[in-house]
Amino acid sequence: MSAHTSDRAVLSPQVEVKPVSFPRVLHSEWVKLWSLRSTYWTVFATLGAMVLFAVLIGLSANIEESEAAADGEMAIGIGYYFAQVVVAVLGVLTITGEYTTGMIRSTLAAVPARVPALAAKAVVVAAVGFVLGVVGVALAYLASYPFFGEDAAPLADPEIQRIFWGTGLYLAGVGLLGLGLGAILRHTAGAVTLILGVLLMLPTLWQLLMSASDWFLTSLPYLPSLAGERIATPAIADTGAEGIQALSPWAGFGVFMVYVLLTFGVAALLLRRRDA
Amino acid sequence: MSELSRRAQPIVSGKGTPVIEAVNLTKRYGDKTAVDDVTFQVMPGTVTGFLGPNGAGKSTTMRMIVGLDHPTAGSVTVNGKPYAAHSAPLREVGVLLDAKAVHTGRSAYNHLRAMAATHGIPKRRVREVIELTGLEQVASKRVGGFSLGMGQRLGIAAALLGDPKTLILDEPVNGLDPEGVKWVRTMVRYLASQGRTVFISSHLMSEMSQTADHLLVIGRGRIIASGPIDEVIGSARQATVRVVTPDPDRLSRRLREQGGQVTVLEPGRLEVTGLTHVQIGEIAAADGVTLHELTPMNASLEDAYLSLTRDEVEYRSEMMTTTDPTTDRATAEAER
Repeated sequence: MSAHTSDRAVLSPQVEVKPVSFPRVLHSEWVKLWSLRSTYWTVFATLGAMVLFAVLIGLSANIEESEAAADGEMAIGIGYYFAQVVVAVLGVLTITGEYTTGMIRSTLAAVPARVPALAAKAVVVAAVGFVLGVVGVALAYLASYPFFGEDAAPLADPEIQRIFWGTGLYLAGVGLLGLGLGAILRHTAGAVTLILGVLLMLPTLWQLLMSASDWFLTSLPYLPSLAGERIATPAIADTGAEGIQALSPWAGFGVFMVYVLLTFGVAALLLRRRDA
Repeated sequence: MSELSRRAQPIVSGKGTPVIEAVNLTKRYGDKTAVDDVTFQVMPGTVTGFLGPNGAGKSTTMRMIVGLDHPTAGSVTVNGKPYAAHSAPLREVGVLLDAKAVHTGRSAYNHLRAMAATHGIPKRRVREVIELTGLEQVASKRVGGFSLGMGQRLGIAAALLGDPKTLILDEPVNGLDPEGVKWVRTMVRYLASQGRTVFISSHLMSEMSQTADHLLVIGRGRIIASGPIDEVIGSARQATVRVVTPDPDRLSRRLREQGGQVTVLEPGRLEVTGLTHVQIGEIAAADGVTLHELTPMNASLEDAYLSLTRDEVEYRSEMMTTTDPTTDRATAEAER
């Protein structure tokens, strides 16, 4: 029986135990993230989707030689749309996975201040979202390069550079939004449905309601996904067909971050107040 | 046992500064009161059993001790401070809440490593607790495939990470096979032998008598009894004597006069509490009553436990009757 044979183990003179600190909580969350298979699936699915769509855009560009044909800028500026679904789910699962398994009680017993644990998760999710975005665009560029050759997006162009870093920023924000909503709802299916609804369905809903009220027309660019994705997509040359004024990339990203911060404020408040 | 000779103060077990101290601790969920104005202390170096039927408020109390549930009223401290106020809480208290406080997709080793990282506990200690709990063979396997027994070992390993002087174990043997039960008991005794304080809950009196030296009995969210285990059991144990006599009416009357409680099981067959078989025999002889049978019956541990809990049920229904008029008045006032 091990309880008898390994007396030395527990009697080791002193076990090194340090106070809980944010870097230590961050380290813990980093270990947690990379010790789950779902994280690796997320990475492969995100990068795979971004490369796949770059290739598809490249193929379509070669087929139709019209003036409306896709260009190299589009090939790197579309992957975010599919990547955001996977990153949103990663953000949600980072916290709801702990609620559904009961792990959250271990986490909060180790970090009773609670909010540092959520903040550490946020840093980890944002970092992964950002790196995935940037690496994904880089891979998309490489994958689509053979199709465009000289017509490929010029890397030195400030707008192309913005798409590079902007895709990272947007995916970081999407991951954070997923984490925040997951922390509020504490339920995987509910939080996934909500964030995908907000990101993908809300714009469609607004467009349907536009005819009913002008308010939906003017508020459309401020929807989270439409505001946030501006940083990750090619600039819109002129206003939309129905006279909708899209936000500038950085203004859009700013609006998106306001949603993220509000969500986190609510999540942190509830995390402190609710029983685990 | 020096514990027996010492007169126990109510709601205090052991001596020194309390390791866990609850004062008027209350937890309500809606209109349901899970823990009702509970005050108790767990003293250092004791193995204090927290005994009560399922749903009595044991788990809720333990979750409040480690700050997972917020008390509706009252407070609870660990080593003089609220759990959350400690800079390194895993150093103060190790807690096993239930076997399912682990992400099923993670390996045991990685779970422990993530927990250890929050307190800067080195990997060496992670390997030590794995060895100590006999998890070497399964440490790299995902927890989702663990048996209940393995899950409990992992929970105890996690509780020991910070080498705490106090352990809180919620129903550690619940649902385990005999081998698992034996392992947990041995582990608890081993940890106690190192001078650690163990606060362990169970709904089985027999389990408590195996491991605990002090007892805290809870029923319907209230502390019913507390103190050294022998005193608690002794006070709850009501020795019963079975008497068979051809003259039950006369004997019953005489026994009641002498302070006994008499239950008539069937004509001529009585069950007496409050008097010993010697006293009953003497009363019968003095009165010239014939006895056909005089059998002292020892209450079992479980009987003692049931009698403790039954008292609480009766006490509560009594309370409800007395408070009814007040409630009515309050309702009437609210309606006005």
